[in-house]
Amino acid sequence: MSSLVNARGVSKHFGAVRAVDNVSFQIEQGKILGLIGPNGAGKTTLLKALLGLTDCDGELSVLGLDPFKQRKELMRNICFIADVAVLPRWIRVTQLLDFVEAVHPNFSRSRAEGFLTQTKVRSDAKVRELSKGMVTQLHLSIIMAIDAKLLVLDEPTLGLDILFRKEFYGNLLNDYFDAERTILITTHQVEEIENLLTDIMFINDGKILLDSPMDALADSYTELMTSGENAARARGLRPIAESELFGKSIFLFEGVSREHLDGLGEMRTPAVADLFVAKVKEARR
Amino acid sequence: MIGTQLALIKREFWEHRSIYVTPAAIGVIVTLGVLAMLMLTSGFAKELDMVIFGAQNLAGDAERRAALTVFFAGTSWVFLVALMFLTVFYSLDSLYAERKDKSILFWRSLPVTDAETVISKLLTAAVVLPSITALGIWATHLVNLIVFSIWVSVQGGDAGVLIWGSVAILDNWLAALIVLVASGVWMSPFIAWFLFVSTWAKRMPFLMAFMPPIVLGLLEWIVFRTKYFLTVVGERGDMTPLFHGVSLERFFEEEQWRDGVENIGLLAHMDLIGFVTDPGFWSGLLVCGILTTAAIYVRRYRDES
Repeated sequence: MSSLVNARGVSKHFGAVRAVDNVSFQIEQGKILGLIGPNGAGKTTLLKALLGLTDCDGELSVLGLDPFKQRKELMRNICFIADVAVLPRWIRVTQLLDFVEAVHPNFSRSRAEGFLTQTKVRSDAKVRELSKGMVTQLHLSIIMAIDAKLLVLDEPTLGLDILFRKEFYGNLLNDYFDAERTILITTHQVEEIENLLTDIMFINDGKILLDSPMDALADSYTELMTSGENAARARGLRPIAESELFGKSIFLFEGVSREHLDGLGEMRTPAVADLFVAKVKEARR
Repeated sequence: MIGTQLALIKREFWEHRSIYVTPAAIGVIVTLGVLAMLMLTSGFAKELDMVIFGAQNLAGDAERRAALTVFFAGTSWVFLVALMFLTVFYSLDSLYAERKDKSILFWRSLPVTDAETVISKLLTAAVVLPSITALGIWATHLVNLIVFSIWVSVQGGDAGVLIWGSVAILDNWLAALIVLVASGVWMSPFIAWFLFVSTWAKRMPFLMAFMPPIVLGLLEWIVFRTKYFLTVVGERGDMTPLFHGVSLERFFEEEQWRDGVENIGLLAHMDLIGFVTDPGFWSGLLVCGILTTAAIYVRRYRDES
């Protein structure tokens, strides 16, 4: 498998603030990677560096290109949705298709029109006449009609209702994703996408806290719910996080095998959101 | 490359409909004005009536030709003034609006470089806007000549001779196109300055465009008691080298085009060679290049989040 993205010691400073602080990682082809982090963690800055929208220190290559210096070449094979409100409000749907068709060598207009017929977006409508959900459908229809190697989605469903959000990810998986393609998503609504991710990366204060395939999480992390004496024993096994719920103690273990925890209580793989909170708290200690 | 540039310029027409609405509106206003003039003067003596649209009682063909040229130059002047305002507002908005509505992130997600985008705006302001205005002038002129012909025919005159036989269409139209495109090129340092402000100003681009030159001029006067900067900026507005050293304003005011019977027409008064060999022409292009590069640099490097 080949790496689409190679980052080694990538940093980006804004004055004294280190938005991205010496991070190294790789993204392989055919993955759906979730980049999770709180506001101000450096997610957007990192994405901007990947997309060539901002320069950065360190070694960064995307599809073998320097994203900042070779942005035009890069944009032929990368798509991104940075925010839902990003389409110009004055443009008509047909004009938008005309324009993308004229400037993008990998865009298939018929494919985009095919996606649009499944929505309520009229081709003669102006973007300002569309609802927020419809604008996202329009944007996604264009993006999915571009034969790109890497798709970057930065909070793509922000401000959309649950129906649109479900449909958005459904379309993405069913109509777009295949082994040739790679998707990088950031979102606050982790629980909605954790089932479709193949890999996950946590970022906080510009640093990567976790970079792992999803299926390896079950091997490394265990959540244990218990009470009483068992809780005291569990505490002795050095959990990375502890919380209380309905009088029960919930522990999160990293690198402790399930045999060790057997008999102490109910075990399961932690939800990504819980794991994220635990990792952030651990990093702040 | 050219395909992308054409698509980018087409996009400017979609976004800024004033590019063609303004000349069309001016055309309608001018035509209505001509009609009003004909209506109002028709109450006078028949001879006077004919002076205005048929020029029948003028001394000869040359004067009639000149009278029609005055009319053409006068209406074109209205378009030129409108073009000036249109260019200022267009240039100041062109790279500001996309930041304000955040669509810049969409435009930058496509395989189009910042240089291509900024150059498309420069070309639109300096070449496309003047060309569209020239089209508007031609169309309006044609409509007005038809209106004149009908009027003259109704009054019993021979429009074929009095109007169509006397009007120097080729001379007038070509002259209008040259003046407009030349003024776009001549004013290009201003346009590039507006583009730069448009991509750089966080808010109030209009104020940001006009305040610094005024402040700079005032400072120069306070410190050195000279007005060199404002003089250079002000004189450029006259497009001097195209009219044998006569300023555009004086050219119209003093009716220079009327100086000789054999020399009637607008083209004869233009000095294209003088224009392109004038140091001001080249220094203007240089300043335009520098400011355009600065605009590209700002659009590329500035983080818009």
